[in-house]
Parts: sequence; C-alpha cells; structure tokens
Amino acid sequence: MNSKRIRLWDLPTRLFHWSLVLCVAAAVISGQVGGKWIDWHGKIGLAIVGLVAFRLAWGLLGSTYARFAQFFPTPGRIKAYLSGQWRGEGHNPLGALSVFGLLGVLGVQLLTGLVANDDIAFRGPLYDLVGNDWSNRLSGLHHLLANVLIALVVLHVAAIAFYGHVKKKKLLKPMLTGWKDDGEGESATGGGIVALLVALLFAAAAVYGASGAWLPEPPPPPPAAETPSW
Amino acid sequence: MKSKLLLSLLAATLASSAMAQVKPEDAIKFRQSGYGFMAWNMGRIKMNVEGGNFNKEEVIKAANAIQAIANSGMGALYLPGTDKGKGWEETRAKSNIWTDKEKMGKVATDFVREANEMAKVAAGGDAAAVGNQLGKLSGTCKGCHDDFKAKR
Repeated sequence: MNSKRIRLWDLPTRLFHWSLVLCVAAAVISGQVGGKWIDWHGKIGLAIVGLVAFRLAWGLLGSTYARFAQFFPTPGRIKAYLSGQWRGEGHNPLGALSVFGLLGVLGVQLLTGLVANDDIAFRGPLYDLVGNDWSNRLSGLHHLLANVLIALVVLHVAAIAFYGHVKKKKLLKPMLTGWKDDGEGESATGGGIVALLVALLFAAAAVYGASGAWLPEPPPPPPAAETPSW
Repeated sequence: MKSKLLLSLLAATLASSAMAQVKPEDAIKFRQSGYGFMAWNMGRIKMNVEGGNFNKEEVIKAANAIQAIANSGMGALYLPGTDKGKGWEETRAKSNIWTDKEKMGKVATDFVREANEMAKVAAGGDAAAVGNQLGKLSGTCKGCHDDFKAKR
C-alpha cells in the first residue's frame, strides 16, 4: 500500500461544513426555545438556505471529492462497499447516503420553514405563497422532520466515532485541515475561483428568493386604510 | 351562617348550570375566536416593535386586549370531551389538557402572568422593553402549543 498525503476537502467545502454545523445547531436550539428566538430561527434558516444552495452548486462546480457525481451512492457502489470491494477516497457510499440524506431533509426543512407559522406571531417569509391551511400543514411537517434531522445528525456523528475507534479511520482531521495523511487516491483538483464565485452567486440568489423580498408589497398598513377610529 | 352556605351553594349551582349552557360546538368556537383575536394583537405589537415607528397607543390597545382575554377564564370553555369537535374548524386541543392538569395549569398560569406583564410594559411605552416582553409572552404561548395543541 503506497499511501501519501493528499488534498481531500477543499476550503469552501470545509467552511460550508462547519458553518452548517453552527447554523443547524443554532436553528435547532432557537426553534425549540421559541419566544423571541423564533425570529432568529427564521434568520438562521435563511443563512442555511444560502449554505445548502452553495453546497448544491459546489457539488457540480467544486473540486474532485466535493462533486456529487464522484460519490453518488449508486446501488452498485453500495453493494461493493458492503462486501468490502470498494476502494476510493472521499465520501464512501454509505457516507454519501448520509450526505444526501442530510441535505435532503435539510432541504425539506428549508422549504417548509419558509412557509411555516408558529400560531403566535411568526410567519415564514414565503407564507403568503401558500396561505394559512397549507402553512399549518407544512408547519406540522417541519416540526416532525426536525426530529428526523436530529436523528440523522446523531447517526452521522456516531458513524464518524465508529470509524475512528473501530475501523481506525480518522475522518475528522481531513474535514478540519483538508489533508488526508494516508490517502490512496489523487489530490483533489478543480473548484477554482471562478467556480467559487458562481457558486456564491447562486447561493446569494437563493437567499434573495427565500427572503421573499421580491414578493409584491403587502397592502398598505392600517394607517393608510380607512378604518373606524374605535 | 347556614343561609350563607345555602346561598353559595345556590350560586355555585347556578354558575355551573350557566356554564353548561355553552354548547360544546360554541365553546370550541369561542376558544378559537379568542386565540385568533389574540394572534391579531400579537401581530400588531410585533409590527410596532419591528416597523421602526413604534405607536405606543396601538401597542397598549393590543396588549390590553390580550390581557383581557388571558384573564377571562377561558378554562371554562374546555368542557369535558371537547378535545374533539368542530368550531370554526376542527379543534386542535389535545386530550392531555384534561388529564395532565398540573402541567396544563402551570402553562396557563405562566401565560396569564406574562400577558399581565405585557400590559404593564406596554403602558410604559418603551419599545425595547415591549419587544422583550413580547418574546416572553410568545414563549408562554409556545409552552402550551408544544404539549397541548395538535400539529397538523
């Protein structure tokens, strides 16, 4: 086995990952606490829209191991991995399931959260697009999936601990430094500055779209509308 | 003494019969109306806190409305068996409202306390304090919704 030090995770991927950790933790806590924190929950949600949109773009434009096609968990790859046949760098096929699972649930959380309401004084920025009935239903789903998301995160962390202790594969360090000491593949290439700018632009557009800033102005606030003074 | 006792007994009987006259369907409607009306007023306070132009009078009106409803003894509308039924829409009251009395009592008391405080703070007219109290108040709404209001 000729292992060497390889570049595994590019900097944008790592920044994305750790920002997402912070934002999801903050979102879970602010969502559970509620009260005045619900407005922060909404803002953090918008930040996560940006992060996830960036990652989706980076999955096409990023460097080798950040690309979805590189690690997409096809049945063939999963079978190979489970029977010990799989060789490769980056996300292994099971880890890839975890990546897509997390991104998928997170995506539904974002879409439902954007139109949700809390029956108190909070409405997601795109609430008006779906109306009250659907907002109520999707808020229920949002609550439910929060638990699924937490479960997936726990599984994700547990899997990393398992790899570290049982299979003696340190997955944490490359996600921090970008380097893998005992790599068997090639260093990652691609994902240059132009790709980064395009991905960032896409993320910014997604946040703008999610913020509802483009929605038509609501009818003028009460003072302008003629209502009786009592 | 004896007559006093009789009188209070009579009063209690009358009161309970008066309460029983609210039909379950109406009780659910009144509940939903109360919460809906409070939601309007929560939204008003929030708009004033966030909008940049804080209108003290508006906030006082809204806070007083919430306080009045909070102190109206809405518990009387939670007739046994009304965890099911339709008012303006299907009720979302969960059956543990009637069984988990201790916790339910606590969240209800918390809510009334913060609603009273909201009215007090609104009268003070300080926008930041109002925003802060609005957070506390909506926290007590959530305290009940989390455990006692069905999700859809």
